[in-house]
Amino acid sequence: MSLFVRRQIPIVLVFVAALLVMADYFLGFRTTTGPIVTDLQNWGIILSAFALGFGAVNLFYLHTRHISRRTPGQWPFSIWILIMIVVFTIIGVATGPTGPQYSWLYNASYFALSATVYSSLGFYMTTGCYRALRARNAEAALLLVVGAIALLRNAPAVAVGVPIIIPMEAWLSSIPTTSAQRGIMIGAALGAIALGVRTMIGRETGFLGRLTEAERRGGT
Amino acid sequence: MSKEGAGFWRKLEDVPREILYTILLIVFIIPMLNPIGFPVPISDAVKKWYATIDALPAGSAIMIDFGYSGGGEPELGPLAAAVYHHIFRKGGLKPITMSTSIDGTLLWDKVIAEVNPEKYGRKYGVDYIHIGYISGTETAMAAVGKNLRATTSTDYHGASLDQFPIMQGIADASSFKLLICYTTGGDQSEGWVRQWYTPYKVPYLCAVIAMMVPTMLPYQKAGQIVSLLAGAQAGEMELLINVPGRGIKSADVITLTHILVFAFVVLGNIAYYGRKASERARGG
Repeated sequence: MSLFVRRQIPIVLVFVAALLVMADYFLGFRTTTGPIVTDLQNWGIILSAFALGFGAVNLFYLHTRHISRRTPGQWPFSIWILIMIVVFTIIGVATGPTGPQYSWLYNASYFALSATVYSSLGFYMTTGCYRALRARNAEAALLLVVGAIALLRNAPAVAVGVPIIIPMEAWLSSIPTTSAQRGIMIGAALGAIALGVRTMIGRETGFLGRLTEAERRGGT
Repeated sequence: MSKEGAGFWRKLEDVPREILYTILLIVFIIPMLNPIGFPVPISDAVKKWYATIDALPAGSAIMIDFGYSGGGEPELGPLAAAVYHHIFRKGGLKPITMSTSIDGTLLWDKVIAEVNPEKYGRKYGVDYIHIGYISGTETAMAAVGKNLRATTSTDYHGASLDQFPIMQGIADASSFKLLICYTTGGDQSEGWVRQWYTPYKVPYLCAVIAMMVPTMLPYQKAGQIVSLLAGAQAGEMELLINVPGRGIKSADVITLTHILVFAFVVLGNIAYYGRKASERARGG
């Protein structure tokens, strides 16, 4: 396949698609670009749904290899994940993704496990707070005080009993936290804009898959 | 101070995690079994959320995104249920739900079963509906906002949207008077600002897990989010609408566990400075 097909055509497609979507969003050419952008967005939805299915196939492939190679410490879990993929798929296809059997399976397995794993964070954070929140120096002391205020403000009864903590936490949230967060967001947004522009003009080629160094530089 | 003294402080500093976990578990279980009934203040954010829904005129459509995963359900589910109670009790509103999380439809089923809309005389397809999981997250938001019917033509059971009275006159984001998002992901909470608030100016109520609140504060300060809640504030909403549920039950647990963690922090620091003082005394 020639470099023109592998590199130039995808870059032109990305450039045109990005330009259309941006014109639709920022410049308000909705009557002109609207139907095209609607189609592009629907293609995006279909592709992302396809990616989910593709991910499942890839998972199947990966874990089948673990089982065939008897990867130490992994292959029994690979068998389990394949069994679960098959069970979820069969029941999902047979009863529908909102059917009672599928819902029961989800609630009894994935939901319960997922909530348990998330809840276990509370235990780690408790020991983390006990061991890490030490006033070793001025900066650590400041972090400790701010953390304590936030912690106590989020305990409903403490906020009622010690109302002064409410405006203190509100100030911390409104001024220092928001200011710092805005800085992070603006920095990330500028980075995203730069990445977008570089992708549009073909300077970022990660989305093209594996290219040789010469191809990345534009050679053959 | 003696060598034994330093040893004591060091032991206190390095309390085995199993002991800390056990104490936390006990403090967690006791109020779950025997609710204490600690006072719960209703914050301005919760009042604002309530007032925003209450001020909607009859016939207003509300887009609701169930964008959270199973791990976030214990925190966001009770709030979603409380808000549905408010919407159904008020009546005349059209809550149209979609999911940007793949678990969303199943978690919505759980919440609806908990709320029991029939209790308020509300019927599926007439007073509320779920149009299903739409993949692509931000692309899905943009597509639904631009042309809902071109993006999906069925509800989450696969039935045509045309047969449901609630969907009459619903075409795109401009058909909605309010947007509510419950999510455990930044893609969803921030995506709705970019795809619905900025281009269509749809008022936005956002509920996230507590650790995400700082990330979303700038949007609230900029007026892009009318009210921002952490799921843990479900108890406040339940008090406001006078429908006690899972949220208010967990308020006692939240209070006690937060106080316990604070006590642990104080104890950890006492142990740290005790050991330092003891070591200085020995060294001196």
